[in-house]
Amino acid sequence: MRELRTISRSMICLAMMALSSACLIAQEKPNPAKIKASAIQVDMIHSDEIKLPAEFQVSLYEDLIRQLEKKSGLAHVYREGDRNAATAPNLVILRSNVTGFKEGSQRKREVTTVAGETEIKIHCVFSDKDGKTLLEADVTGKVRFFGGNLRATYDLAKATTKIVRENFSAST
Amino acid sequence: MIWQRKSAFLVKCILAMAATAVLGASGFAQQPTADAPLKVVVVKGLAGVKDNTKGTLVIGDGSMHFAHEGVKSDLATHSIEDVVTGDDTQRVIRGTVGTLSWFAPYGAGRFLALFRTKLDSVTIKYRDADGGLHGAIFTMPVGQAAVIKQDLLAQGAKTTVAEADPKSAPATPEPKEKP
Repeated sequence: MRELRTISRSMICLAMMALSSACLIAQEKPNPAKIKASAIQVDMIHSDEIKLPAEFQVSLYEDLIRQLEKKSGLAHVYREGDRNAATAPNLVILRSNVTGFKEGSQRKREVTTVAGETEIKIHCVFSDKDGKTLLEADVTGKVRFFGGNLRATYDLAKATTKIVRENFSAST
Repeated sequence: MIWQRKSAFLVKCILAMAATAVLGASGFAQQPTADAPLKVVVVKGLAGVKDNTKGTLVIGDGSMHFAHEGVKSDLATHSIEDVVTGDDTQRVIRGTVGTLSWFAPYGAGRFLALFRTKLDSVTIKYRDADGGLHGAIFTMPVGQAAVIKQDLLAQGAKTTVAEADPKSAPATPEPKEKP
């Protein structure tokens, strides 16, 4: 009986040690250093190879700015051409190029549930004032079930904002 | 017996809704009038106006004036860098009733989703006082987009798409699945 208790205690001790070491390893895992930025300037979406309808282009631009203002954590979000951006320190410029576009159908989505998906793919380049590339990422926005086709731009803006939040931190 | 009556009642309701939808769709298209304020919906992007706000648009005296109850927005037409027209569709039965229709029996919600009205859309790009680029999307009944575009161009707005091409949304290389 005593032997059983000793074994069970030693087992519990071992398990606790394993857990604590796992926690330590997780804490020691290096977080990628975030890039310091005080403001971001969003340029109008370009579509060099793939022609994006104007309403999608504008919707994506506006959604991007709105999402970045709400959730990026950066102090300022400037629009393309804004003169105030010139004096902002640590300014990051976001340029986006459309790499894929499939305009689905809201009617098909509502009637069939599985067909009529709208999808937009963009390639984002984050650079500093001098044009040096800081980060590049491919982002996809979709609307699969509910909502109009323009909802894909909202999905895309949310995904892009998440990238900004994960890779850039507000400099003081 | 009672179940049969209920089923018959439900079917009648669905048919009545469908008939309303068809009638609504046919009566939705209005003749464009140049002088009267145009009824539009701001889908997004107009400064100081919430998304999907219905209101009236008046173009004249070098400005584009949008009004909805207490909300007013004025935009100098010379600040508009691009005006592009397009088309779209929307469900005839939408809003709360449209959402509730998804719970109707026998796939009635899906059936009602087939009834859609055509819309025109106008997309503009403009600069604010600081030079920042904005974009705004409006929808309006069929036939009014061309009128709005003509009015804006007459008041000093610019466009990248020739007037001869009324449905000017650039073609996509992939086939469209538009409703």
